[in-house]
Amino acid sequence: MRLLVLTVLSVALMVVDARFDTLKPLRGNLAQVITPFYWLAERPLRLWEGVSQQFSRRDELIAENEKLKAEALLLQRRLQKLATLTEQNVRLRELLNSAALVDEQVLVSELIGVDPNPFTHRILIDKGEKDGVFLGQPVLDALGLMGQVVEVMPYTARVLLLTDTTHSIPVQVNRNGLRAIAVGTGNPESLELRFVADTADIKEGDLLVSSGLGQRFPAGYPVATVKEVIHDSGQPFAVVRAVPTARLNRSRYLLLVFSDRRSPEERAVDAALAQEAADREAAQGGAAAPTPDAANPSGPAATPPANPLAAPATQASPPTAGRSAAANPAAPSAAHPAAAPATQASPSAAGRAAAANPAAPSAAHPPTAPATQASPAAAGRSAATNSTAPAPAAAPAGGAR
Amino acid sequence: MVVVARSRSRNGWFVWFSLLFALLLSVAPLPEFMAVGRPLWLPLLIAYWLLAAPQWIGMTRVWLLGLAADVLYGTPLGQNALVLALIVFMLLSLHQRLRMFPVWQQSLVLLVVFGLAQLVQLWLNTLTGNRPPTLLFLFPALVSALLWPWVFTIMRWFSRLLRVH
Repeated sequence: MRLLVLTVLSVALMVVDARFDTLKPLRGNLAQVITPFYWLAERPLRLWEGVSQQFSRRDELIAENEKLKAEALLLQRRLQKLATLTEQNVRLRELLNSAALVDEQVLVSELIGVDPNPFTHRILIDKGEKDGVFLGQPVLDALGLMGQVVEVMPYTARVLLLTDTTHSIPVQVNRNGLRAIAVGTGNPESLELRFVADTADIKEGDLLVSSGLGQRFPAGYPVATVKEVIHDSGQPFAVVRAVPTARLNRSRYLLLVFSDRRSPEERAVDAALAQEAADREAAQGGAAAPTPDAANPSGPAATPPANPLAAPATQASPPTAGRSAAANPAAPSAAHPAAAPATQASPSAAGRAAAANPAAPSAAHPPTAPATQASPAAAGRSAATNSTAPAPAAAPAGGAR
Repeated sequence: MVVVARSRSRNGWFVWFSLLFALLLSVAPLPEFMAVGRPLWLPLLIAYWLLAAPQWIGMTRVWLLGLAADVLYGTPLGQNALVLALIVFMLLSLHQRLRMFPVWQQSLVLLVVFGLAQLVQLWLNTLTGNRPPTLLFLFPALVSALLWPWVFTIMRWFSRLLRVH
């Protein structure tokens, strides 16, 4: 009898928990009491790690130190190149009329527990609702995407990993943009691409990056590398297996990504507003004295004497005007996220900066800050990049206008 | 039993402490190759206390404990609660016989009981989309049944020490 009551109760609870949100607060509160269990369960292991670290030998530490120094040097070299590359990337994207890929904000969190069920790949992290974690938030480690948040508790959150059998992620081949869906297999070292045509151009060693099509993961993060492609004439599709780039079962520190959560419409409106403000200021300032394009050896098709200081669409030199006119028709339509390019500082960068930082719109104002105006990346980005970026950036950007 | 009905049921805290410890063990990190065979610590301890000191542990209490386990594992509320309640029901209905059995025979019975529990667990998991592709889900039941004699011996030693009954 009692079993009957309890069974009915459990089933009711399960249905309610799966279908509605009413039990979430109760769950959150209970979780607050219970999740320290994970912390406690890990104590002995951590203690052991701590002890073994205490007694690790001096030469080992020195060796590790050397290695880290060398690594830092390598990374710094790459970082130097990154500034110019990002700059170039933003400019090219501007030409392509697409939204700029902006640095997302991240939050570092630590893994505190692993799901005891070996058939589900879920982990528990030490950041929760109080830190702004939200449902569906993407999670990365140093090497690639790891998964997404599926349950948020006050101080902790549960993350579903890419390789869980219930998880799929839209990806594309980095080499040629071929789209596919990577499905978890339940094996932490393997993903499977579904519905890839037998004739598709995909081969061993290809890097798969997130395509951002599911509107959940940011685009462009590495997801996996293709391990094998099996063409079986008996099968309708090719069997493609891939190895996740993230160390799904080894990473201790994870990054929670806060991407821009404004809708494309909001972004477009912001961009349009920034654009209008800039135009108005440009009109007030009048056509500034056209300065000759700062001699620019690297500027590719940079020939038009486009004026880097004041280049609103209306008063730009003919070739530029043609280009901006071509790009402009899209501008008023709010459906286009980055619709108003080619004229002033990159609209998306400006719009974003306007949202993030009140000082930015004035930076986009042409006469005051030529360098920033010319280099959209610098406008949107911090002053730190500014110090390095402007010199190489200003010239080609002027050419692009 | 050495201590005969002299003391009323005492040291009930130890029952709950051991059950919480089982909960702790059930989320303790294990190397990957062992995780598949993670013993069902909570059902094991519940089985022991049902045989040794049934007055401390009832179906409702176990059900509540199951809810705690659900929150801990992140399964839908009620899943583990239901499974644990079923285990208690089966063990209670076998109670009289089970007490008379030698330990290895208890092990066999528990193998069946835990296996059934894992099967129910599998069905419930399937409802939320997590279906292990193999029969490996029965492995924990086997490991737990093999562990039963040790658990039984150790726990009896402890409960005699603390005079829980």
